[in-house]
Amino acid sequence: MPKKKEQGNHLAIEGEFTIYTVGELKEQILGALLANDEFEMDLSAVEEFDAAGLQLLIMTKKGASALNRKFRLTGCSAAVLSLLDLSGLASFFGDSLTYAKSKEAIA
Amino acid sequence: MAKTILFVDDSASVRQVMTTTLKREGYDVITAEDGKDALSKLDGKKIHLIISDVNMPNMDGLTFVKQAKLLPAYKFTPVIMLTTETAASKMSEGKASGVKAWIVKPFQPPHLLAAVSQLILA
Amino acid sequence: MIIPDDYLQTFVVECKELLEQMEESLLVIEKDPTNPDIINAIFRAAHTIKGSAGLFGLEFIVEFTHTAESVLDRARSGEIVINSNLTALFIAVHDHLATLVEHVVEGSTPSTETTDFGKRLTAQLEVYLGKEIKEVSFPPVQKLNVSEQSSTGDQVGADHWHLSLRFGTDVFRNGMDPFSFVRHLSKLGTIVQLVTIIDAIPSAEEMDPESCYLGFEISFRSEASKTDIDNVFNFVRSDCEIHILPPNSKISEYQKLIQELPEQEMRLGELLVNCGTLTPDELKRVLQVQSEISTDEPQRPIGEVLVEQQMVSPPVVEAALKKQEQVREHKKAEANLIRVDADKLDELINLVGELIIAGAGTSLIAQKAGMADLMESTATLSRLVEEVRDSALALRMVQIGATFNRFQRVVRDVSKELGKEINLVISGAETELDKTVVEKIGDPLTHLVRNSMDHGIEPAEVRIARGKPVKGTLKLNAYHDAGSIVIEVTDDGGGLNKAKILSKAIERGLVDENANLSDKEIYNLIFEAGFSTADAISNLSGRGVGMDVVRSNIQALRGRIELDSVEGQGSTIRIRLPLTLAIIDGFMVGVGDTTFVVPLDMVVECIELRAWASDEGDGQYLNLRGEVLPYRRLRDYFDTKGEVVRRENVVVVRYGEHKAGLVVDKLMGEFQTVIKPLGQLFKGEKGIGGFTILGNGEVALIVDVPGLMTQIEHEKDSRE
Repeated sequence: MPKKKEQGNHLAIEGEFTIYTVGELKEQILGALLANDEFEMDLSAVEEFDAAGLQLLIMTKKGASALNRKFRLTGCSAAVLSLLDLSGLASFFGDSLTYAKSKEAIA
Repeated sequence: MAKTILFVDDSASVRQVMTTTLKREGYDVITAEDGKDALSKLDGKKIHLIISDVNMPNMDGLTFVKQAKLLPAYKFTPVIMLTTETAASKMSEGKASGVKAWIVKPFQPPHLLAAVSQLILA
Repeated sequence: MIIPDDYLQTFVVECKELLEQMEESLLVIEKDPTNPDIINAIFRAAHTIKGSAGLFGLEFIVEFTHTAESVLDRARSGEIVINSNLTALFIAVHDHLATLVEHVVEGSTPSTETTDFGKRLTAQLEVYLGKEIKEVSFPPVQKLNVSEQSSTGDQVGADHWHLSLRFGTDVFRNGMDPFSFVRHLSKLGTIVQLVTIIDAIPSAEEMDPESCYLGFEISFRSEASKTDIDNVFNFVRSDCEIHILPPNSKISEYQKLIQELPEQEMRLGELLVNCGTLTPDELKRVLQVQSEISTDEPQRPIGEVLVEQQMVSPPVVEAALKKQEQVREHKKAEANLIRVDADKLDELINLVGELIIAGAGTSLIAQKAGMADLMESTATLSRLVEEVRDSALALRMVQIGATFNRFQRVVRDVSKELGKEINLVISGAETELDKTVVEKIGDPLTHLVRNSMDHGIEPAEVRIARGKPVKGTLKLNAYHDAGSIVIEVTDDGGGLNKAKILSKAIERGLVDENANLSDKEIYNLIFEAGFSTADAISNLSGRGVGMDVVRSNIQALRGRIELDSVEGQGSTIRIRLPLTLAIIDGFMVGVGDTTFVVPLDMVVECIELRAWASDEGDGQYLNLRGEVLPYRRLRDYFDTKGEVVRRENVVVVRYGEHKAGLVVDKLMGEFQTVIKPLGQLFKGEKGIGGFTILGNGEVALIVDVPGLMTQIEHEKDSRE
């Protein structure tokens, strides 16, 4: 089971972000998106990331723009980055990622 | 991170050969000697692939797979069945239980490794 | 692994059948080298042999077959063309496989010599797998592309594969990760560009996170075969829409791809451009073709369009069609055929034979008892038994086609050996005859075919001089005639030289110098023992075995052989054989105390001797309504004892073109006869073909009409 720290508009996922966890995570993400103008996810502690995880991440990004919410990825683990790279979707998350990186740089 | 495979077969020699082969390819291997034994190994730890024989004492492979799929932690785990059973009914029964590949015995280890690698590349 | 003997037996039988099919296909492929049916038949044979050999742990077969299979696989996918060199190589492969299977039969391992030979063949085969040889072995697809490019410019420039994948919703739930296939794919080559298709992901509210909505467009550079690439998706095949386009595919193929994918065409075009598979300019052309097609010819089936425009590498379409056909064929064969041990059939026929005898016994008793009801019932019974007999015999009947087809190889080999061009024409392949007869006819037929090719058909120069086509023709024909099967071997060669044969026969003392022989009689002298010897005089002298051996082989089958020839135009050898060896309809006759059975097929009529025919006076010929008919009294011929009757009868028999009269005491009517072979003791008895047991337990002798006739003619000859 993924451990997550939840603070309203901030979701940090640890461990597994895969088919085994997407069912539960989806509800949280959707809830957070609906409730907040801005939403952040921290994936820097994700150890396993698969296509189902990626797909949920895509949904989040698409959902955010559909609902006119701001969505940021505040951190990505190697597992997440490698799949973003392989999928060619790094640019799709481009602005969110850039933000995450610059935020890291500031921090 | 090495991926973990649960290998279930009642033949000790087959288990030995396959453990060696799979480990050489960089997988972690847990073995069980029949369906019952295999179920007891499913204690929540992450398993990326189950490879199981069909005809085994105590609990056969299909029953084991069906039981395993009821456990939340393993409901999406891919399964390869090793079998001499080619009966269509068994196959479809297996398919309904989430069996992805049937490899008919006697199989060549490279064949199995190719299947493993297609499902969960290390 | 210990394998039961009968499994191995099944394996051997299967292998032999497959090898036969393989050979047949190899012999016709030169005429039609791209025919997918033929290529596939050859491939399937190799593939199945390899597969089952693996199961039996016969590594020496698996190993040898593997390379052959790989080469055939390339032929199947159109990467190489089976030319005459490759055909010759595969014939050698076939022969070697047959040798290996023989080792399985004997339970022996191949000798070093055999193994080395196999290795040499493998090395030759590997040439067809190597890249550097690629250019030499005419890869059709690439060639086609090159020419197409200059003429129509219809293909795209990108030299990489293009893969379009749309995963089914259950992919995740089945424990699969689409990216694991992508990772596996990168083992086979380089992923140039991958675009993840996320268009199908529903809105956040509606999305089921455990369902998969993803797809990939991948441009992929690889030397791997289409099969290898395709195999990567083995586990996801039923759950995924997969399109794989080879490098330099036609514009029109992309058009087709776009048609088949779920997304909008502009979106797909954009994706293909993003992948680097299409340039924007090419995309424009793709979309143009697309709109033309959709307005002008909306109904054309894709396959047709593809083939017409020669735009798919042929194997793509063929593979699909082939697969369907294979499955259908297989199912059909499975549904309609049962493999039965020939011994079991023999046993059945034997039992039917016993049934017939027992039935005859019952009829006899019924007759004696004079019970009309019983007689009627036995009549019905015997009619049914007769039908059962026919069905049982029909089970043993096989078409002669397979035997004839084997001669494709013989003709091919021998004509190469002789340096003659000879065409084999087969007709009547569907003619059926008993399996035992088929098995035994092979050798004599081979001998005759070789003879005709060797000595019948003239060398090319002679043929040209004679104004004949350079290519000689050999015909094999079969048909049914009067309860017999007739097999003809015809050549359009020089025919037989009568004068030479006659002088030779006189020299050998086979005929009298003053004998007045018809042409036919002269020709048939070549079948006489002692005629055909080492110094070949006739156009048909044998190699090794004489024609007399061929004749005795045929006679052993209760058959007969004869020859027609027209000098300068060719010869026809005609073999007449009984349809079956097991049971015949007989006509029962009595002579003294003995009962004889004459095969009913050969009986023309029965007449009373005194009333209708008269002896010509020499005890040899009858005058039958003005026709002169040679005859024999069976009583004299077989030296039968018993009371002489006053009113003798003549059974007129015909065999081929010969007729003769057999004088007997009593006519006893039709009778179904199970032929039991004569024991060694009676083997030499001329004129007797076997015996049978009557319903009352007595033995009846079966008259060997052909034998008897030969005998009569012989006597006639020697008298003249």
